[in-house]
Amino acid sequence: MLIFNRSKYLILILVFLFSCEEAEYILDNRSDPANMDLVPPALFFHPPEIDVELGADVSVQIYGLELLPASAAHLKIKYDWGMLEYNSITANEFFTGINNPVVVDIPEQGLLDIYLYYLPDLIADQSEGGTWPLVTINFTAYAEGESDLEFDTDITVLKDFNNNSVLINEFGMGKINID
Amino acid sequence: MIRGLIIINLLIFCLVAEVTKSVSLATGNKLAVLRFEGWGISDPLTIFLTEEFRETIRELDVFQVQDRGITNEIKIFYPLKKDYWACWSEECVLDLGKRLNVNYIIAGNIQKKDGDSFLINGRLFSIDMETLLSEFAMNSSGITDSLLLEMKKMAYNVSGLPIPDTLSVGSDTSQVVITGDLDRKKTWFKLPPIPSKIKALMMSTALPGSGQIWAQKKYPGYGFMGMEATLGTAALIAYIQYESSWGDFEKSYNAYQNGTDPHNLILLRPKVIKYANDTRKYNAFMRNIRSVGASIWIVNMVHAYLVAPNDDFFDGEYFFDLEYQPEINQFQFNVNF
Repeated sequence: MLIFNRSKYLILILVFLFSCEEAEYILDNRSDPANMDLVPPALFFHPPEIDVELGADVSVQIYGLELLPASAAHLKIKYDWGMLEYNSITANEFFTGINNPVVVDIPEQGLLDIYLYYLPDLIADQSEGGTWPLVTINFTAYAEGESDLEFDTDITVLKDFNNNSVLINEFGMGKINID
Repeated sequence: MIRGLIIINLLIFCLVAEVTKSVSLATGNKLAVLRFEGWGISDPLTIFLTEEFRETIRELDVFQVQDRGITNEIKIFYPLKKDYWACWSEECVLDLGKRLNVNYIIAGNIQKKDGDSFLINGRLFSIDMETLLSEFAMNSSGITDSLLLEMKKMAYNVSGLPIPDTLSVGSDTSQVVITGDLDRKKTWFKLPPIPSKIKALMMSTALPGSGQIWAQKKYPGYGFMGMEATLGTAALIAYIQYESSWGDFEKSYNAYQNGTDPHNLILLRPKVIKYANDTRKYNAFMRNIRSVGASIWIVNMVHAYLVAPNDDFFDGEYFFDLEYQPEINQFQFNVNF
């Protein structure tokens, strides 16, 4: 009798409470700009922290977060030239339109001047803006240690097609750990 | 007097036999025996005799006798009349016959006359031909077993079969035969019939509304069925949408968790939130439908139980019964578990 009563209640509970699975989620991906505590529009290094082995090649992107439309950029990057050797640079989607962007790199010891230009076409004379990578920088790690990657915030600037500066609220930092 | 009875019986036999043969070829052979009306005898005895009459006709296998429970469901059509079985006129019987979906109906009464003598009257109606086929009357005197014997004889008459010698000979032999019949019934293992209310409840539990439809409450039955079908369809649509949203959610969330490109992640984030909200929305909708559906289902079950015809429990086949014991010539109350 007791078993019957329990079964009866169990059936009732199942009828009333049984339902499909609820969608549970945690949006904690570290590469998600929403988790980076940056105030857009912003520039940041992606990934913000990289672990590499000694002698390995390492690539880091300069990313724009919710940037306004721009026609050109001058990015000045500081790095530890005692650990990282600059190899090359590649332009990414931010300034890519019908034409590929022009990228000019002037490396010095521990400093890197990057000039990026949007090549106008019949449709647009500047990028659409948004969250896109600007360039990918390739280094080789040749000494153990930690190298910070920083923007020279006094120099780094984005310009629109009228040569006006484009607002950048915040600059993110990067770090490369070489073991 | 005896000669007269024999002549009447023979006439009835000939008439019924002929009619049965000629009609049953063209029509069906479904027969409903309405409960005999008792004048001067108790209700349980009337019920008992009617059921014996019904059983005997059924055993003779000439007519397809409708079950007592279904026949008694004419209460459904005449819920306010207590003496619903007192359907003696052609018009009343034909109406009932059509409602009960049978080809023949027998209605009758048992009257107590002076002392221990009884008069049994019966009428056999053809529903298809819309006419009274035959009317028969039998006298019974003395003990109740004799009454039972007369009912059995009448069953043979109605079925158009010759009355066997075992029923025609003296009362002692008849009593043995009847007692034997009763014993044989008890010997065979037979599952107790499901009471109509329980049957309706079970039907409506399995398929909402079916119990009501079975109990001739068609509109409420279709109503419950329609409501549950509508809710079921709505739940199905919600489930399909839930499944779709769940699939999109899983796809987006997996892409988000495994993604490294900030541009893609920033696009995936609102999608994950949207699809998760969609799944919750559809899930909540399904829960509501389930609750409403379950409530209606329960109401439907209770309703089916309430509207189903109420069986007479004093027939010796249910959990408790009032049974006639010929040995002691008394009725006995039994409880069966």
